[in-house]
Amino acid sequence: MPKLTIDGHEVEVAAGTNLIEAARAAGVAIPYFCYHPYLKVVGQCRICMVEIAGQPRLALGCATPAADGMVVKVEDSERAREAREAVMEFLLANHPLDCPVCDQAGECLLQDHSMSEQGAKFTTHMAETRRTFPGYERRLIGPHVMQNQNRCIHCSRCIRFTREISETAALTYKSRGNSTFIDTFDGSSFDDPMSGCATDVCPVGALTLRETRFRKRAWKLRSTPSVCPGCSIGCNIFIDHHERVVYRFTPRENPAINATWLCDYGRFLAESLNEQAYLAPQRQDHGHPAPAAWGEALAAVAALLRGAASLRVVASANMSNEELFLARELFGRHLKGEIAVPVAAGEPRRMKNGKGEWLLAKDAHPNAAGARRLGLDTVDGEGLSRFLYGGAGLTLILDPEAHPFLASPEALRLLRVGTTVVWARRSHPVADGATWLLPTPSLASDEGTFTSSTGAVQRFAEAFAAPGTVHRTATGGMSPDCPTIALPWGAPGEARPLWLVLSALARELGIETLDLASPAEVFTLMARSEKGFAGLSWEALGGLAPQESFRERQHVG
Amino acid sequence: MEPVLLRARGAADSRAITTYLGAGGYEGWKKALAMGPDAVTKEVSDSELRGRGGAGFPTGRKWSFVPKDHPGPRYLVCNADESEPGTFKDREIIEYDPHQVIEGVAIASFAIKANTAYIYIRGEFVRWAKILEEAIVEARQRGFLGKNVLGSGFDLDIWVHRGAGAYICGEETALLESIEGKRGFPRLKPPFPALVGLFGKPTVINNVETLACVPHIITRGAAWFAGIGRPKNTGPKLFGVSGHVNRPGVYELPLGVTFREIIEEHAGGVRGGRKLKAFFPGGSSAPVLTAAEVDVKADFDACAEAKTMLGSGGIIVFDDTVDMVEVADNVAHFYAHESCGQCTPCREGSDWCMDILDRLMAGHGLPADPDTLLRICRFASGGMTICPLGDAFSLPISSIVTKFRDEFERRIAAATPLPPRKLPVLPWAGPKAGFGI
Repeated sequence: MPKLTIDGHEVEVAAGTNLIEAARAAGVAIPYFCYHPYLKVVGQCRICMVEIAGQPRLALGCATPAADGMVVKVEDSERAREAREAVMEFLLANHPLDCPVCDQAGECLLQDHSMSEQGAKFTTHMAETRRTFPGYERRLIGPHVMQNQNRCIHCSRCIRFTREISETAALTYKSRGNSTFIDTFDGSSFDDPMSGCATDVCPVGALTLRETRFRKRAWKLRSTPSVCPGCSIGCNIFIDHHERVVYRFTPRENPAINATWLCDYGRFLAESLNEQAYLAPQRQDHGHPAPAAWGEALAAVAALLRGAASLRVVASANMSNEELFLARELFGRHLKGEIAVPVAAGEPRRMKNGKGEWLLAKDAHPNAAGARRLGLDTVDGEGLSRFLYGGAGLTLILDPEAHPFLASPEALRLLRVGTTVVWARRSHPVADGATWLLPTPSLASDEGTFTSSTGAVQRFAEAFAAPGTVHRTATGGMSPDCPTIALPWGAPGEARPLWLVLSALARELGIETLDLASPAEVFTLMARSEKGFAGLSWEALGGLAPQESFRERQHVG
Repeated sequence: MEPVLLRARGAADSRAITTYLGAGGYEGWKKALAMGPDAVTKEVSDSELRGRGGAGFPTGRKWSFVPKDHPGPRYLVCNADESEPGTFKDREIIEYDPHQVIEGVAIASFAIKANTAYIYIRGEFVRWAKILEEAIVEARQRGFLGKNVLGSGFDLDIWVHRGAGAYICGEETALLESIEGKRGFPRLKPPFPALVGLFGKPTVINNVETLACVPHIITRGAAWFAGIGRPKNTGPKLFGVSGHVNRPGVYELPLGVTFREIIEEHAGGVRGGRKLKAFFPGGSSAPVLTAAEVDVKADFDACAEAKTMLGSGGIIVFDDTVDMVEVADNVAHFYAHESCGQCTPCREGSDWCMDILDRLMAGHGLPADPDTLLRICRFASGGMTICPLGDAFSLPISSIVTKFRDEFERRIAAATPLPPRKLPVLPWAGPKAGFGI
């Protein structure tokens, strides 16, 4: 464990730690552009120059391992500061001054550094015409990635990402010297399954995402730590949202699962979180759905549950551990119903963790492992059809998207026999024909934990309560229907998370042990009674970093 | 001095192995095999041979950095990527005496226990690559290369690898990347190639001329070699003289002769009886020396004292008709073209210098230009870049600006304002390039 001094702060770090990370631990910021904690160190940008006492030349913060007794000067060294300013001048010599129209503005390392370290004092000696790459300013290099080569600072993070992480080696340098530019290796489309990460690692606005660029300024977005619902790997994400609209998912660092990466499939699920077809509870009124109040709905559903001759519950591996536990306790233990958790085998997906190992997705759901851990029966499509077959009693469907089979005509035929209560968010045939429909919100308005296929129990937080309808034109612009600027995204709906409805039902049914006020309480109860969750505490749960601002996050992602 | 490295120049059929053997060729190789690797390394260390590629690093010391107990292969690479402007000495050695190089490669490989050696030759040297390949075949037929060389139990294969024409691939780590089939980007050091080199294995990289000296050191002894030149700057050196002299060419002289002797006696003086103005002492990447500094000794230490470097020994001579701003511009053009584009100061700085000097040449200089040039050069050299190309363009340009500042000032005084910029009219790239904005 080498002990060193950085700008007068003493710090002890693990052997092999470089000076950038050591300085971070000491509370000193060494600027960097090309360095990335999960990519190979190349020392290309030269901005991380520091002075080490006793060494005649300046050293690179990224490439110098911390050594015992080292005395490092970052801000205290006039020589290093001058060198960094010179590198900044070199970088800005040809970088366009188009921050106002650049979508990276606000989360751009170059802009941050230029503003924070140099303030308004920066001057350039550049009197020449800037280098440009005509024809490369607005170029789609793949299905998702837009390139503006003029802004590129040649840090090679994107190239290293495709070589070391996604292993497609899709991106490369072409040409030489100051004409060097980034291109796909053979000029073909950049259709890497993790292509979005190239835009994450890009420190400037040279690579941006076609789907999210110019949708919302970075400083408007609030980031809520969450877990990707795309598959069972459980990548840690931030939900970036503003005014009850989810704009994007960005990866959140977790060395054990997704390092700082996210696959394109998961990343672009963000948009689907905005869909909210059902805003208030509905009942069937002579074959037509009619809105109802929650009080009326809860009483009616409780009455149905009390009077049911038989009870079948289709739970879902998309539900959180708390919701699955509540459903099992309420419907299984107290009401003696049968519960099945359908699990669909999804597309093969994979993710590379911080050690460079590939994790493979086993299921298409974020919480199939949680359902198994709670001892619930997991069934495939065929098992689900057997489960639904026969019996004219009460059927509860907690999530119509639990399995594609539920949308099939056969499932609808089977469900037509009895009474159904469906919890749903997106338009679904099963929900439309339900006796009672109770609206649930998306992941962004829920709170709880998922169990990843690696066994990690990870918390996701609520980004915003009370989701509403999202009025948006196809191109993402604001709808002309929007009533006012102050509330551009429509009136808030009454969708309530499943755990809340389940505990309210427990209250209606007089089961006091399950009448709980928050997912934290449900989790505490679960940790007490369930072997698989024993010893875990809600507060100390892994995967949920303290809320960071998008700016801080960008320095890692 | 009797010629050593160029002794075969001018002889009939000088390239043939029979000629080489007749002159005592491959005796050093036989002797080295009998001596053993450590004794060979010691002999070369004792000779005080310093690398002829430009940096002047002691060769024996370089060899001794290779870990002795490293399992698995190690490599020797002979750097024949002679691309420095004004340098054409290695070509001369290969042209007249390729077996000298091959024997040197063999002895060096034996000293570091490498069973595979590469000769990385500049892409444009098609003819000389062929000469080397033919010579390797000859040597192999005589049993000097291949399996169990001369019954010693030592195996050695030499491969000639042609570059693709990039100056940067003469930088040793970029050269290794190039042999590995990658883009010629210099590597971040440490680790140095002696520990992690070609294909991740310990590797020694030596210049053609350095390796050509080795057989002579082994045959004639370290003391003989150390007796040529000055202490710490020993042995014969090839000086390629070009530019405004009467007899340009390659001259073999002991280290430590003065540049005056090289230019005036051997190269026949400045053309047409004109006056010497300045010269590059060691290729265009060395700081320029003025006519007043012509008595500097041509060796590593004396050049360092004169704040320049011997480099590759390529002397480029300018007479008094030469415009030094144009020289700087020419140099800047070369290095801006050859910068690999990897690290910031060199990529941006070389191009920026070129732009400023182009503007000066076009008659639109600004009063701040000389200082801007000095500032760019200051922050692109002295460890600011991954490889020495940053220094290679900074040092000559800053030395020209410092030593011939009056010429810059004269141009700036006569400058006209820059004409208003015309914004480029971009061709309509078609609907494909811009869809989905």
